[in-house]
Amino acid sequence: MLVSDVDLGVEIAGVRFRNPVLLASGTCGYGSEMEQVTDLAAIGGLVSKTITPEPRPGNPPPRIVETPAGMLNSIGLQNPGLEDFITQKWPYLAGLDTRIVVNIAAPTSAASGAMAARLDELDGIAALEVNISSPNMKDGGMLFGCNPVAAAEVIEAVRKSTRLPVFAKLTPNVTDIGEIARAVEGAGADAVVLINTLLGMAIDVEKRRPILANVTGGLSGPAIRPVAVAMIWKVRQAVSVPIVGLGGISTAADALEFIIAGAAAIQVGTASFVNPNAGVEVAEGIAEFCRRQGIERVASLIGSLETP
Amino acid sequence: MEDERAVVTSNERVAEDFYLARLAAPAIARQVEPGQFVEVQVAQDFSPYLRLPLSVGQRDVEAGTIDLLYEAVGPKTAALSRLQGDTDVACLGPLGHGFHEPAAGAAAVLVGGGIGVPPLLFLGDYLRRGGCRVILLIGARNAGKHLPPELLEPAADEVLLATDDGSKGHHGFVTELLPGAVERTRDCAVYCCGPYGMMAAVAAACRDLRLPCQVSLEEYMACGIGVCVGCVVETAKLSEGDDASPYNRYSRICLDGPVYDAESVCW
Repeated sequence: MLVSDVDLGVEIAGVRFRNPVLLASGTCGYGSEMEQVTDLAAIGGLVSKTITPEPRPGNPPPRIVETPAGMLNSIGLQNPGLEDFITQKWPYLAGLDTRIVVNIAAPTSAASGAMAARLDELDGIAALEVNISSPNMKDGGMLFGCNPVAAAEVIEAVRKSTRLPVFAKLTPNVTDIGEIARAVEGAGADAVVLINTLLGMAIDVEKRRPILANVTGGLSGPAIRPVAVAMIWKVRQAVSVPIVGLGGISTAADALEFIIAGAAAIQVGTASFVNPNAGVEVAEGIAEFCRRQGIERVASLIGSLETP
Repeated sequence: MEDERAVVTSNERVAEDFYLARLAAPAIARQVEPGQFVEVQVAQDFSPYLRLPLSVGQRDVEAGTIDLLYEAVGPKTAALSRLQGDTDVACLGPLGHGFHEPAAGAAAVLVGGGIGVPPLLFLGDYLRRGGCRVILLIGARNAGKHLPPELLEPAADEVLLATDDGSKGHHGFVTELLPGAVERTRDCAVYCCGPYGMMAAVAAACRDLRLPCQVSLEEYMACGIGVCVGCVVETAKLSEGDDASPYNRYSRICLDGPVYDAESVCW
């Protein structure tokens, strides 16, 4: 059977995305740079770069280094802060023909809730993605995401402060990601997003110094993809809320692994650095796959893994 | 800016470890200005994964080509050096902001070291076509690392070389040639690209000599278009006044640079 018009739409927490491909936070800025090199109307959505309550300068350079099949980054959440985001970045994002998920992080659960309440005043945000998983944040981030109680506190504070869907972005740097996923689901998360980067480090052996000024960073790219797929599969069995999957997706075949393992949508991240049109090509490739396989609705693929 | 499907038409060794790749990339050739760069996808199988950022060393608008001069030192430059004629590569560009021209009537003194020389060759040739006098000073480890005269001569009215080991030209740092070159001009602007220490020394010398100086910076780079915020430099002027937010402490080299006024860089 050949399907001419594949339904690529997916729904997460009541939000309809035209296709399951989003651009990951921190890899598409606040939209304006990407719009010059790709067609944002051809992807499901864009997750804006993490904002914090106050502006942050980020870490000193070097901030990135290439590693086998990937890269380490320690950007350190350089961002304009909540208020400058609202006045300087949001008007542009709001005008884009795609769903906008706003990624937030704060040093405390109360500050996370306050950010959510402020963003609740804006029109047009599809969802909030709460970053409780950055390895580059010394006052929050992964500190919350590694502990089920702290993770739940942050998500609960955000959940109580907004009418928007709340996505919790999880770190893979834990013993049992299922436990964290269950904790944030219990705290009211409408979806879980995984995985953020794996903690990594690279050393200049001649100088015996770390290459990154921050010493450690987050590993992303194809190198982490099998880790991410396994974690999607594990979390699928732990929670009933939708999963948004990411981690090293560069092609449609990569994305399909995540969807079949249980992700309702996926995010393309580091691949956009290599090919700024990667998100669009992944979406087109998923459609092609469905046509070839005679699949009418991409949503029917979600969690369709057949285990022996 | 385009992600152009470019064709490597030639790729020749021109000095010790240095290669010159000529790419048919008509859209980029038409748009590129001296100091701008491109990001080349050297491997189709994501290994190496990230693109290779390279300054454009020359362009020919009519032929629709750009020249990329590079030293084969790492996995990506080595992969590029192995690409033979008529290979397709994705080439994103032109990226960043290039050099500003010197004041009317002023000469240009170009100071380059190692892999920093290519953007100065494009600049020198461009300025000379506009009637500007150009003096080119180049430093290298040894004679074998210097680019051949046929690549240097179109870019300058006068070329002075230095080597660390004294095997060609001045024995010592290229920066030691700067005061003499400046003296031979009535008025000049200085342009510099090379190792960090060399650029810092040239910037300091220009401050003492009260000369305008532009530098082209380099840092580990991923996206090339400003979204990853990986390639940054701490800048002084950008963090004053209206832009006092801590958000503006670090400037994105790929987007705001790679060319900066030397005075705006926190060396």
